Amino acid sequence: MKKILALTMAMALSLTLFAGCGSKAPASSAAASGSGAANGEKTEPLKIALILPGAKDDVSFNQAMYEGMTEIEAEYGDAVEVSYVENVYDVADITPTVIDFAEEGYDLVFGHGFQFMEPIMELADQYPDTVFLTGTGYLTSDNAGYYNTHLASGGYVMGVIAATISETGKIGVIGGSNVAEIYQGHEGFKAGAKSVNPDIAIEEVYTGDFNDTPLAKTTADGMYDAGVDVIWHSGDGIGLGVVQSAKEKGKYCLTNAADQSSLAPESVVSGVVYDWKLAIREAIEDVKAGTFATGEKAYWCTVENGGINIAPYLEGAMTEEQTATVNKVVEDIRSGALEIPEYK
Amino acid sequence: MIQQIFTTTFFASVLGSAIRLATPILATSLGEIYTQRSGVMNLGLEGTMLMGALAGFLGCYFSGSLALGVLCGMAAGVLMSTVMAFLSVTMKANQVIAGTALTILGSGLAAFIYRSVFGLQKSPPQVENFRALPIPGLSKIPFFGDVLFNHNLLVYIIFALVPITWFVLEKTVLGLRIKMVGEHPRAADSKGISVAGVRYTAVMIGGAYAGLAGAYLTIAYMNSFTDNIVSGRGYIALAVVIFSHWKPSLAMWGSLLFGFANALQIRLQALGAPIPNQFLLMLPYVITIVVLVGVSKKAEFPSAYTQPYSRMER
Repeated sequence: MKKILALTMAMALSLTLFAGCGSKAPASSAAASGSGAANGEKTEPLKIALILPGAKDDVSFNQAMYEGMTEIEAEYGDAVEVSYVENVYDVADITPTVIDFAEEGYDLVFGHGFQFMEPIMELADQYPDTVFLTGTGYLTSDNAGYYNTHLASGGYVMGVIAATISETGKIGVIGGSNVAEIYQGHEGFKAGAKSVNPDIAIEEVYTGDFNDTPLAKTTADGMYDAGVDVIWHSGDGIGLGVVQSAKEKGKYCLTNAADQSSLAPESVVSGVVYDWKLAIREAIEDVKAGTFATGEKAYWCTVENGGINIAPYLEGAMTEEQTATVNKVVEDIRSGALEIPEYK
Repeated sequence: MIQQIFTTTFFASVLGSAIRLATPILATSLGEIYTQRSGVMNLGLEGTMLMGALAGFLGCYFSGSLALGVLCGMAAGVLMSTVMAFLSVTMKANQVIAGTALTILGSGLAAFIYRSVFGLQKSPPQVENFRALPIPGLSKIPFFGDVLFNHNLLVYIIFALVPITWFVLEKTVLGLRIKMVGEHPRAADSKGISVAGVRYTAVMIGGAYAGLAGAYLTIAYMNSFTDNIVSGRGYIALAVVIFSHWKPSLAMWGSLLFGFANALQIRLQALGAPIPNQFLLMLPYVITIVVLVGVSKKAEFPSAYTQPYSRMER
């Protein structure tokens, strides 16, 4: 009896492992040995790892990075070899994953999220041959840096749109957790809204979790019930809950990270769209040229450099005059005429 | 801010949300009451709910029928709990370990199946979910109409399970047998009742309820599936079962208390309460722990709780 039990348990556990592996299989670039040597440069492809805290199809923060990376991978062809890992969310899982890639001799490791920064800063010294980058981080060392979005400026534009189209004078903003760039985005949102209407009422909620879509939906429901008529969500899986609520209540919402208008074509007015390709490309070039250690070690996506874009507006949501006002703000940020501060 | 709190719209909104947030926890905890009354603790609820959520979504997505979605969710729940019943009743495994393994299995398997079926998509597949079903007449009552009678069909069904669960456990032969194998399996055995059979039934009923709760999340409350849609609700349901002393009516109040605390903290944050949001986020859990501490001392666990039964042993 005991033996059968042990066997069942082992099978259950290995099934789970199997389930995990399904998504972890590294996407090896084909024929790495052949053409890479032809142009006489590095014969070995640059080995890159991308560790995502969520699912690569979350239509938001993770998917934007995943798609940016796959496009870069296609662009570089055999010169790079990228491995992807998903759902490394808990700090307890981050350290071993980062160590795994460093031990295997990866040249460049992307930890796509704020929570990767501390483990990476601790480990970086032990693996001097690997360059580590933290998404939305702020610390650097000899072989560790970060890439980030200047979400404050994206949030600012969202604030301007929200305040412009709001009829009740009440708008809302929903985020996962009060950290780094999310906070920046929210502060930018408030500043942008107040630049249009200084008396506007802004409701702000952190749901405490980046994945609990039902809770985010409850949050948005409550806001709409209280008279809020436009909500911006600052990203990740929870965004689905906000969009769903807007769809059911027939209200407007603004999205983050990726264009989510396909989810609710009548409700999504616009959104911040990240383009990480710029940051990824710069980082790869620095690592290839061996200039990382002496460089800035920080790669920014901003409205100015095209790393942050504004999704196409919903037709009919804004008058021509209003559209022009919003476009003017975007132009001013791009040209540097309007500077959005770093919020502390 | 104070003026904004003491308005009927504020309370109607918070209480309505509380009911919707309580619903999946309630369904799962009612099912777990059957399971635990029979002497089995199913710790795998989190994974069972997630499999129910996935199966409910897939069933609805491919058939276009909400009813079929609900049935698929419940079937997946039963299937998952059968594994639990096999491990804990037939194999007499340690129930804590078996349940934990089941949760890990469920979360891995659900993510794997979802990805295999849909691949990588630009936007998540969606279904037409259950719409709010205002009850004619009653939903027009000021305040109470909004709070109680303006929900989707599954909310009404799950709340109707409270008296049904009570009735089955207290007034039917099956209920009596479930309690008997949970309190004194040897006595039940000597009366010719199949201890294993009753326990299998109780665990599978629990699985069906958890699967229903999962389906509620994906096709009634939301309209899409995400890997983390359950987000700990299975564990909260377990806490609610202990809190309720294995009584369906108390399980309802426990679920509502948690839902209310969660809905309240969110509204307080939105109104800009001068309390750091991290503290407000803790509120539902703190309340759950405080209440548990208060009532657990008096909790009388089923005598054969987590004890496998064997005719050979004394």
